[in-house]
Amino acid sequence: MKKIFAVARWEFVEKIKTRTFLISLIISPLIIILFTIGGQLISSQENDYTKTIGVIDTSGIYFFPLKTKTEQYTIDNQQPAYMVVNLAKKNQPIDKLLAASDSLIIRGVINGVLHIKNSGTDSVSAEFRSKAAANFKDVRRLEQAYNEITTIIALERAGINPELINKITSASNIVQVQISEAGEEKKTDFITTFFSSIIFILMLMTLVISSGGMLIRSLVEEKSNKLIDIIISSCTPDELLAGKIFGLSLLGFVQILIWAVIGILLTNSALISADIFSNIFMILIFFVLGFIFYTSLFVGIGSIVSTEQEAQQITGYLSMILVLPVILAIPAIENPDTMIVKILSYFPLTLPTIMMLRLNLGIIPSTEIALSIILMLLSIYLTIFISARIFRIGILSHGKMPSLKELIKWIKE
Amino acid sequence: MLIIKNLRKEFKNVVAVDNLSFSIEKGKIFGLLGPNGAGKTTTIRVILNIIKPSSGEVTFNGEVIDKKYYDIIGYLPEERGLYRNQRVIDVILYFASLKNLSRHEALTKANYWLDRMGMQKYSSKRVRELSKGSQQKVQFITAVLHNPELLILDEPFTGFDPINQQLIKEVILSFAREGRIIILSTHQMETAEKLCSDILLINEGKGVCSGSLSSIKKRFAANNVKIEFEGDASFISSLPMIESIDFYNNCAEVQLAENYQPNLFLKSLIEKITIKHFSIIEPTLNKIFIDVIKENHTNK
Repeated sequence: MKKIFAVARWEFVEKIKTRTFLISLIISPLIIILFTIGGQLISSQENDYTKTIGVIDTSGIYFFPLKTKTEQYTIDNQQPAYMVVNLAKKNQPIDKLLAASDSLIIRGVINGVLHIKNSGTDSVSAEFRSKAAANFKDVRRLEQAYNEITTIIALERAGINPELINKITSASNIVQVQISEAGEEKKTDFITTFFSSIIFILMLMTLVISSGGMLIRSLVEEKSNKLIDIIISSCTPDELLAGKIFGLSLLGFVQILIWAVIGILLTNSALISADIFSNIFMILIFFVLGFIFYTSLFVGIGSIVSTEQEAQQITGYLSMILVLPVILAIPAIENPDTMIVKILSYFPLTLPTIMMLRLNLGIIPSTEIALSIILMLLSIYLTIFISARIFRIGILSHGKMPSLKELIKWIKE
Repeated sequence: MLIIKNLRKEFKNVVAVDNLSFSIEKGKIFGLLGPNGAGKTTTIRVILNIIKPSSGEVTFNGEVIDKKYYDIIGYLPEERGLYRNQRVIDVILYFASLKNLSRHEALTKANYWLDRMGMQKYSSKRVRELSKGSQQKVQFITAVLHNPELLILDEPFTGFDPINQQLIKEVILSFAREGRIIILSTHQMETAEKLCSDILLINEGKGVCSGSLSSIKKRFAANNVKIEFEGDASFISSLPMIESIDFYNNCAEVQLAENYQPNLFLKSLIEKITIKHFSIIEPTLNKIFIDVIKENHTNK
């Protein structure tokens, strides 16, 4: 046990002084800040000028209600967010109107045109024409106004009392509230969920890749100059392995601690929404489990390489596995209950990240959480066991990397 | 007492060490000699408990060597290297902590050894800033700092200048005087000859020659004499007891027939030439090494 501490102490002290550690300590929060603040800015920023929107509506039914509804939005200086102009002219064929409005868009006179087709009939439809892909928020507002008007028109046609129509259509937006068995509830918002989940996944990724990289590099150094022979004539390979995992985990926790302080400061200064930290406790559990799991994996695999190039190659492959959950993040957030997401949340390599995502997406039954924690603990145990077997032989082998067949033999030995 | 009994180690399809047995008493410097790839390092690694033998056993004071012996073993591998980016003192303290020394004890001993090796001024330098010789001295310190009962040195003198070689030699001899067991693996036959009291010569994993240095020399002493003379000595080559002769300027090395008394040979010379010097040649370890290995190959 004393020797495990000796190794852990060395790994910790030696690595905390390195440039790699400092870089990952600084770069990760930077990425995170960019993501959160950047994301929030992009999603919630109001236009800073009044946009001109043209409307082509040959029947003329839509124009005035549309104008009233959209011009109620304001920008920061209390100016209206939109100015709606009528581009429909009597006795002009529709293709000429479109050509004229398109040229206005291209010349930058107006920001976009809402074209209402077959206006006044049952097969009414609308399209929004603009130079670049339109701002999501603008389109949503136009869409909402258009739908409301269409509904009102349909109701009026059906002979419904205008007062009643007014009552029906004044309904406000629906706020999404999720209810769990325990009666907790949480409001969801795609953007916040996305960014808060991505933050933790990114943090885990940078942490694992940076410390895993350091670990493999130091193993290569120890192997290349036979330092390893001196070390394992002083302690067992298992003690060395345990010491390395322990030391690196300690290093990871210091990093998390520093990030947490930064996070709290940013939250207090209102730069980051506090919603991000609403599941912090459970997320941290998966974060820590994930970190230990990946580190154990790195130690085992890292012990088989003997050159710097091989080390880079292996780190590259392992990093790809870590990036996988980030790629899956968006479809998973959109559809957290699909089979594939559920399966991946029971697969040790993706479990920690997917669970961190799912924790932010909705309330997961506590049995499922417990099950995945147990699964993770078992995976860590198994990984350390297998890694130790590989490590024992790997640290003494030189030359080319072993084949899969050889590795299996090592594990069985 | 370190006893190695019927040691055998196989890798995949290669037998690296084949049925090797030897023992070393306390206070002895044991020379483990052999050509490259003979199995010296494998033998050392088994003794160090780094690898497990395929069969056979290693015992120290009657007990099988296992992890509880880690702290009394010191090892200097042939390939040198340390953590290059760390400070000398930190590296020394780390290896001391792996040998279970307390921080305080380690620091005292580190200072003692840095002084003894003339390295005190490099204590806070990074390893990479040191010359190759100084780096090797640091590594030597890490091998001896914890006062090991069993010290295994693989080519300890390579890379050192004569002054430092002398320094290392003195340390090794002082360890032997204190009753420790020292295994010295080397290619430098002269050094082995000067330092080692017992020798094991291995070739292709097998022990081919072992015993105390003096007994080995006796065994390999061919009936060789060296003479210095004045006069015409060309008649010697035709004498019946001569096996072979190498003439130099006014001297010659003569191999006599087995069991032929050198005295009789001398008698047959003094009547014809003036003898200025006559001596019986002991074989050098170097010659024994080469002869044994060559013979081993021709026998195959």
